[in-house]
Amino acid sequence: MKKLSRNAVLAERILPALSIVVFFVAWQLLVDLRNIPPIYLPSPLAIMHALISMVEDGSLFYNLAATMLRIMVGFLLAAIVGIVVGIVMGVSRIFERIADPWIAALYPLPKISLIPLLIIWLGTGEAYKIVISAVTAFFPIVMSTYAGVRQVDRGLVKAAEDLGANRRQTQLSVVLPAAIPTIFAGLQLGMGVTIILVVAAEMIGGSSQGGMGNLLIQAGQVLETEKVFAALITLTLMGAVIMKGQQWLDRKLTPWANLR
Amino acid sequence: MNITVEDVRQVWEGRDGSNLVALDGFTHTFKSGRFSCILGPSGCGKSTIAQIVGGLETPTSGKVTIEGANKAGSASVMVWQSQNLFPWRTVIDNVAFGLEMAGVQKAERADKARVLINSVGLTGFERHYPSQLSGGMRQRVALARALIMDRPILLMDEPFGALDAQTKIVMQEELMRIFDETKKTVIFVTHSIDEAILLGDEVIVMTARPGRIKEVLAVDLPRPRSVEMISTPKFGALFDRAFHLIRDEVTKAMQEQNVAAGAAS
Ligand SMILES: Nc1ncnc2c1ncn2[C@@H]1O[C@H](COP(=O)(O)OP(=O)(O)O)[C@@H](O)[C@H]1O
Ligand SMILES: [Mg+2]
Repeated sequence: MKKLSRNAVLAERILPALSIVVFFVAWQLLVDLRNIPPIYLPSPLAIMHALISMVEDGSLFYNLAATMLRIMVGFLLAAIVGIVVGIVMGVSRIFERIADPWIAALYPLPKISLIPLLIIWLGTGEAYKIVISAVTAFFPIVMSTYAGVRQVDRGLVKAAEDLGANRRQTQLSVVLPAAIPTIFAGLQLGMGVTIILVVAAEMIGGSSQGGMGNLLIQAGQVLETEKVFAALITLTLMGAVIMKGQQWLDRKLTPWANLR
Repeated sequence: MNITVEDVRQVWEGRDGSNLVALDGFTHTFKSGRFSCILGPSGCGKSTIAQIVGGLETPTSGKVTIEGANKAGSASVMVWQSQNLFPWRTVIDNVAFGLEMAGVQKAERADKARVLINSVGLTGFERHYPSQLSGGMRQRVALARALIMDRPILLMDEPFGALDAQTKIVMQEELMRIFDETKKTVIFVTHSIDEAILLGDEVIVMTARPGRIKEVLAVDLPRPRSVEMISTPKFGALFDRAFHLIRDEVTKAMQEQNVAAGAAS
């Protein structure tokens, strides 16, 4: 950790925070002074009030918890299947040959366009939301894992063999750890699309199961714009917390990749 | 454990289907307990022959026989040009890698690794990752990782090539000490004439690609060796001899590169 000079502290810590404060004050003043109707643009204070009342009546927590749960289940499913398939593709030529055309063909398909089909097959319940997000997240994860395994430095593999490692040991002790940073990059991409797809699926699906996407749509339909903003802020914070958490975990699990 | 290399030829197949003859008719017997240096211009197949002797590549044709060893590679261990340390393993876990693969218990392999780490002067750095070390320290880890295997043949592929001049001298002296103590058979690849004469009992000068042996120089400097010997007349005479041999080959290699570049443009 380098020591920051006083000016650097000002530039790196205070100015970003200040810009946020200035932004919200300007927003508040704009709404107040120009009398903008709240259904177009509610003031930050009105949004705050909406947020607080949603916390108090429990609706925010309920919907957030539902969304988070779906994200975690969808992501875990995609991560497990994606990593396993990616590794098998990386180490088995036959499996690589079989899987490659499928992945190449399905990868460019916008997975969100599968929603109508999935609703026909699965209805609008939990299964459809989890499947659509898991299927979408599967692709970046499987591709990164496969690339990570394939890109392993040949020199390291040879060195391991020279030191007496057999094939299985080489894969477990060299190929896999060498691929971990690339796999983590894929997991971060996968998490990003899982969040998008879960919220999108909640918007289209039924109203009974809640979720942030559902909350957004419900509030939007009755022009409760401050609720819409409150939900957006919550989603932004949720996304930031998840991403930061993932980066933190990444640094914890791969300390060697984050030196310097 | 004499190592007999008979008429080894190595042809690499390029991605575009073109063939590259890296080695052609390489024949030599590396005597047991000797320090043999392989000297040659870059790209002449030095790394290739080292890896073939180590059982890490199979030659296109020809034969390598290691006296008393049943399996290719089981009698030798390599110290790599690019070190090839495992970046996700700490120093101690890198050094202990071979023992771990052999199923040695954790406590026992840690003890052995510490002894080796100490002998290469890295005590206190056990928990560091390779990326936290200097080039010279990394090369010491690579050396310790090879020595812990306790195999009779040590293959070294330009291990000090990337080090600065001072670190290189220290490492060379350390290697000479280790050689005098352990009496291993060493095959040491280098493109430095000084280094080859300073370390070797013999210097095998290779031709430009396709690599074969141009001449074998016997180095009859007494052991233990030290860097001061570089200024002796005997050393100077050997240097001149090797220099003339290698100069022809470097010129040849450069001409070939120019022709290739001309053809490509
Ligand atoms: N695995 C490989 N596949 C294809 N070509 C190779 C391979 N290894 C080495 N070569 C080529 O063979 C030639 C000799 O390489 P190398 O033995 O590394 O030479 P040196 O160590 O003397 O510099 C070079 O032209 C190199 O590009
Ligand atoms: Mg080389």
